[in-house]
Amino acid sequence: MKAASGGMGAAVAPDDLERGGGLPAETRGSLRRLWRLKWGVAAAALMLAIVGTTVLAPWLAPHDPIAVNIRLRLAPPAWMDGGASKHLLGTDQVGRDLLSRVIYGGRVSLLVGVAAVLLSATIGVPLGLTAGYFGPRVDWIIMTLINVMLTFPFVLLALAVIAVLGPSLPNMIAVLGAAGWPIYARVVRAETLSIRERDFVVASRALGMGHLRIIFRQILPNLVSAVVVIATLQVAQVIILESFLSFLGLGIQPPTPAWGNMLGEGRVYMLTSWWIAAFPGLAIFVTTLVINLMGNALRDWLDPHMKL
Amino acid sequence: MHRALTLSTALILALGVATPAAIDAQTKDDTIVYALQSDIATWDPPNDVLREAIILGYHVFDHLAARDVKTGKVGPNLATSWKALDDTTWEVKLRQGVKFHDGTPFGAKDVKATFERVLDPKNKLTARGNHAKIKSVEAVDDSTVRFKTDGPYPLFVERMTAQVMQSAKVIAEKGHDWMQENPVGTGPYKLVKWSRKQEHLLVRNDDYWGPKPHFKYVRIRIIPEQATQIAELLSGGVDVIKAVPPDQMDVINKSGSSRTASSPILRTAMLQLDQAGRGGQNPFQDRRVRQAANLAVDIDGVIKYVLNGLGDRVATGVNPMAFGWDPSLKPYTQDLARAKKLLAEAGFPNGVDITFHEGPPVVEPATQQTNDAIVSDLTKAGFRVKRNYTGDNTVFVARVKENKASPMFNWSWGYYSIFDADAILYDVFKCGETWSYYCNKELDDLIHAGRSSLDPKKRAEIYVKAQKLLFDDAAYLFKWGLRGVWGISNRIEYAAPRDEIDRMFLATPRKK
Amino acid sequence: MRRYITRQLVQLVVVIIGISLLAFSILHVIGDPVLLLLPQNAGKEEYERYNKILGLDQPVYVQYWKFVSRAVVGDFGKSWYTSTPAFSLVLERMPPTLYLTFAGLGAAMLIALPLGILAALKRHSFVDTLCTMLAVAGQAVPIFWLGIMLIIVFAVRLKALPASGYGTWQHFLMPAFSLGTFLAPITMRLVRSGVIEVMNMEYIKTARAKGVAERMVVIKHAFRNACIPVITVVGLQFGQLLGGAIVTETVFAWPGVATLTVESIRNQDFPVVQCAVVLLALVIVTVNLIVDVIVGLIDPRIRVGG
Repeated sequence: MKAASGGMGAAVAPDDLERGGGLPAETRGSLRRLWRLKWGVAAAALMLAIVGTTVLAPWLAPHDPIAVNIRLRLAPPAWMDGGASKHLLGTDQVGRDLLSRVIYGGRVSLLVGVAAVLLSATIGVPLGLTAGYFGPRVDWIIMTLINVMLTFPFVLLALAVIAVLGPSLPNMIAVLGAAGWPIYARVVRAETLSIRERDFVVASRALGMGHLRIIFRQILPNLVSAVVVIATLQVAQVIILESFLSFLGLGIQPPTPAWGNMLGEGRVYMLTSWWIAAFPGLAIFVTTLVINLMGNALRDWLDPHMKL
Repeated sequence: MHRALTLSTALILALGVATPAAIDAQTKDDTIVYALQSDIATWDPPNDVLREAIILGYHVFDHLAARDVKTGKVGPNLATSWKALDDTTWEVKLRQGVKFHDGTPFGAKDVKATFERVLDPKNKLTARGNHAKIKSVEAVDDSTVRFKTDGPYPLFVERMTAQVMQSAKVIAEKGHDWMQENPVGTGPYKLVKWSRKQEHLLVRNDDYWGPKPHFKYVRIRIIPEQATQIAELLSGGVDVIKAVPPDQMDVINKSGSSRTASSPILRTAMLQLDQAGRGGQNPFQDRRVRQAANLAVDIDGVIKYVLNGLGDRVATGVNPMAFGWDPSLKPYTQDLARAKKLLAEAGFPNGVDITFHEGPPVVEPATQQTNDAIVSDLTKAGFRVKRNYTGDNTVFVARVKENKASPMFNWSWGYYSIFDADAILYDVFKCGETWSYYCNKELDDLIHAGRSSLDPKKRAEIYVKAQKLLFDDAAYLFKWGLRGVWGISNRIEYAAPRDEIDRMFLATPRKK
Repeated sequence: MRRYITRQLVQLVVVIIGISLLAFSILHVIGDPVLLLLPQNAGKEEYERYNKILGLDQPVYVQYWKFVSRAVVGDFGKSWYTSTPAFSLVLERMPPTLYLTFAGLGAAMLIALPLGILAALKRHSFVDTLCTMLAVAGQAVPIFWLGIMLIIVFAVRLKALPASGYGTWQHFLMPAFSLGTFLAPITMRLVRSGVIEVMNMEYIKTARAKGVAERMVVIKHAFRNACIPVITVVGLQFGQLLGGAIVTETVFAWPGVATLTVESIRNQDFPVVQCAVVLLALVIVTVNLIVDVIVGLIDPRIRVGG
């Protein structure tokens, strides 16, 4: 049981446990926190730009992302020899504009990321609350469920379900969302367990306040920051997973652009037309990096001692 | 604490340190490595329709007759000579002193047993259709066999190149199931080890009756990803790869370590349309819709820009290299306005929804890219195409067989390497045949007439008619005759085979 | 100690039952296997016939019971495509996957341990920041992208390593490194915080005060105790690692269970998928159990506290 209640998540690790030490260390610590926060703010600004670009894709993308032009295949980025100025990042194996595809591809990635995370949280948070609040028997059942989920190879599960349901955007969201809830449940449960024993909760219970009111009024508000941090970091995880699935050909189906399937399609051309795979790869990298930085900064800001 | 460490050390040793067995018993100099995109389903060639099975079959088995890769002519192999005694009887003389890998001598009884096994409908072997014209096989003496055919059989000699000779003893004593994994042939190589979906290791048959292959070992590696195949070729892990996409030729030729070779091959690519309604009612049962599809696509553009010119436009499924090809029949050219008009006439003024089943680029390079271009053209004419991709060729072929590929799928036909129009018309266009989604009584009659005459002139006339019919009826969406592209390591001398049957036993080290 | 292990074993049994339920329902609850097998235009009669052949006309619990009682003796049915038993197909491909996973684990440790300890000892220095940056960046690199890059650099350009396949130790280097990078960032951060926590503990301070050399302090005390969270996380991450192995195997044409599973999923060959999923889950459960026992042995607090 210990391993499971340890509260280690997939994307989040326990960060500094900076207790003790003299005043100088404290000051240094908070300075550092501020420094990291600055990174976080920069990351958030960049994220806003990424989200904005994808939302405004129809207006920003210079071309139709699925318009094929076989006369202009494999055109290199504009700044290279043989590049065409109307295709800034070049074209792919059938002459589609890469910039437009990267922009539209972001829509899929972000949509899947956010929607799946919302779904996971919607399943995971109530389960975690129930497990933490209502005592050992319920707790045991839910923890076992969590253990089963954690044991089950996550990617395999997603693959298998998608194979049965067929690859489509809603299925992908459903699968990634349904598979991602245990981490929320576990963290929420652990937090609930500790909050439940705090004075103000014990007092409310003694005063005869109902369970639901205690949960919603007193426990839930204390959990928000933890959930927000996990959710942020999980968006990055889901984006990477989505690109896994698309890369394996089991995700978003061509010609709809998604970063993962663009990378998969561009693989064959890595030695000749590197840009086809490089730009979607870069997009995945930058986006997940930015989200991770944001998540770390959020954690530092909301609760520096949070043990996730 | 101490106990814990010992325990964990023991566990780590047990689980992690055990190294996989080394398979490199052979050295690089006496081994040639050949890559395939997908593995064979069985080592019993008559039971497998795929090109890979034909290729591997050539290494371990022999055929009665074989094509000379240089001249393209069919010549003796296990048979030394043959002649037609009358319109329906062929007599074949066999080579003497040939032994199977298990030591038993090869003779007339083996030829008889092989054909009888293939021809028995109960055995359900895929090769049966190839030899359906053969009525009976008779062993006159140990080195003479007589074939009785159902009417005149002009393709008899060609078809002898498409049937491996298996052992009568093995067929009788070991049986069908055993033969699926244990090939006993008379060929230049013997199978040493088969790791499914990974690798085949063949060793030279030192008792081979013919010219000895240069390389002692052939390793056949199964590498599904084209990118990985090319990387392996460039890094020296593989010596010969096939079906290289045209836009990857440059990187191979500029590498300094390998080169490409290309040759027109006996294979025609098309999109089959379900005219026969095998998968139920569908729009392509209307000729106008099929014509619209043919008119919608700029095939010439696809050949020029996507295949870098490596394809030969054909008006129907008949390949320019096959006997009976009609050079005067002009293919469809793109005409979007007419395509839209035809669709409207067929009752789809607002476009029509169709599903497109796609298979992997195992034998047809750049399938994905050409399909992208074709779908984009179809869309312009009003076809709303939903694409359904199957990544494993064996499975894709099974789907086609089981009527699950309707109403449109990509397909290419390699004629079983028989250079004759009949080898595609019968299998891919005749009513009720496994790979045919087309059904037309008039065409069936022509096919029948064509395969029942020994007079080449008369046959050629029949095939001109058949092609005209297929073209006018827009049986399928016709594409091109393929040009094969091989990637070959610079340490190897190897010629691209136009019958698409790679023969590693003909490869030699390159002279410096 | 015995109670601790008993409790773990009970949990194990329950988890295994849960896994069997999940694997069973992949096919039977979410999808209709008959529809997957039948041609599109098949009639109702044919449907019924297939239903009977597959035993799907029986109540779900009977089907589940049959599935489980067969699975226990290693009978997961035959592959729908090759007609070979699913169990032997999967078992044959298991060793390469296990070797790869452990090699990946090893690579992750080789990267994470030195960097994590270094970052902890030089806390708040430039080195520390650099390590943190590396970790965040490492988490953002898609594993398949890294794999492809490695192939291009080390196989195609330098011709130093085989581009794909399986067999010699050279074949292990690139796949293990890609997989290791997948797990290294989180492990590194754990090592770092573990070492920081331990370095602040009383007995280390005592040791220091006694004049024990700094290097000895780090090696003898800090490192060993920092191992506990690392081992724990290894257990928990093992499932993730297998997920990473799927992609790694695909990129490097590694003949493991993961490629087999992806292939079978694409082919909708469900007996093989079910078998692979159950066996992989069993591997993960076993590793988790071993980890729990090891942690229990090293850290007496857990045994008592639970």
